[in-house]
Amino acid sequence: MKILIADDEALSRRLLEKRLDRAGYEVIAVENGKQALEQLCKPNGPRLALLDWIMPELDGPGVCRAVRTRTEQPYAYMVLLTSKGSKEETVVGLESGADDYLTKPFNAEELRARLRVGERILLLEDRLVEARENMRFRATHDQLTSLLNRGAVMDLLVRELHRSHREKKSTAILLGDVDHFKRVNDTLGHVVGDEVLIEIAGRLLKSVRSYDFVGRYRGEEFLVGLSNCNPSYAPGRAEEIRKSISNRALETGKGPLILTMSFGVLLSSEWGQKPVEELLHEVDVALYEAKAAGRYCLRMAQPGAKVEASHEMAPQAVRRRR
Amino acid sequence: MSEKEQGLSEPVWNVDEFLERVDNDQVLLRELLTIFKEDFPRTMQSLETAVTAQDLKSCARLSHTLKGMLSSLGAIRATAAAAKLEALSSAGETASLKSALKALESEAKSLLPELDAYVAEVRR
Repeated sequence: MKILIADDEALSRRLLEKRLDRAGYEVIAVENGKQALEQLCKPNGPRLALLDWIMPELDGPGVCRAVRTRTEQPYAYMVLLTSKGSKEETVVGLESGADDYLTKPFNAEELRARLRVGERILLLEDRLVEARENMRFRATHDQLTSLLNRGAVMDLLVRELHRSHREKKSTAILLGDVDHFKRVNDTLGHVVGDEVLIEIAGRLLKSVRSYDFVGRYRGEEFLVGLSNCNPSYAPGRAEEIRKSISNRALETGKGPLILTMSFGVLLSSEWGQKPVEELLHEVDVALYEAKAAGRYCLRMAQPGAKVEASHEMAPQAVRRRR
Repeated sequence: MSEKEQGLSEPVWNVDEFLERVDNDQVLLRELLTIFKEDFPRTMQSLETAVTAQDLKSCARLSHTLKGMLSSLGAIRATAAAAKLEALSSAGETASLKSALKALESEAKSLLPELDAYVAEVRR
């Protein structure tokens, strides 16, 4: 574990450094408060610190106060080293944000015991952070496929659309549906249906770049966002993604299975700044057209063709025919 | 005064305590003594200048530094002398600074030969 020691006096610093090194710590030694603060603010910097009270540039309590204003980084456990140890001083030290204090000269056993207290606190924080991250993952990801869930992918899409509008770029929205998925469930069972969805999710993820995003939109429908996508390349890229599903069989517990997908594709730059619900409706219409054209294909959402397509038949009404 | 008297009953350098602190590591001990022999005279010199100039703030800071290094070294009596000087500086007792500095200097005079003697003995 990394530990920071800050002391302007070289002999004491070296002695402490060596002691902690022997105790198995990875020691970072600095000679003033400013350097201490820099170390403590580094990403992946030390989270345990022994700070001398009196130091040039910035004293120990000053370092503590500054460190406590950070909000992004993990907790730092800071111990002040003092030679006086009066009650007033102790109060000032703890009020500045220090977790503990040690009166010099200190006993080696006591030092180690107090550092172990600090490590316990840090471990506790790590566990809480891990639990929170697990909860966050569950709240934003689909349990079956581990893709972003509908809420999370919609949030991401909204942000991405704002950005591409601001930067005068285009985001491509792809809505894909597995062709004849109901047949898989009906003939091979829901376990195979789930396997298929997991496998498709993996292929979709692999077929996009790291800054694109893929989410499970509903049932067997997947939403793909291609950030900053050149409109002239979009149809080609959408084709590639579509074919990544059908170009080889999906492995299932009941043997290999060849399935296809149909896609509706929309380029945000062609639609101006529209609410995300409206754009999703349009891409849904395009997907319906692809289905109506015999499936295993994609259709681009056309701003001009809007009226006839959306009023003829609401996509929701025909969903069952897929 | 009692602090100083207490200090005087102690040895100039508690080498056993220091050895324990460095885990009987002679290499580390030598390294720390080298640091001391560099930093101590330099800090003492600055302190003398500060005392002459009656610069209380610098006196307090420098005697604090000296107290730290002497204490880490296990030089108990000199630590007490430096602590006294720091206390006087913080309390603004300008008149007593010179004599307190003299006391510290005299402790240093008995300490330095002991350190040299130890190093020489270990070498043999």
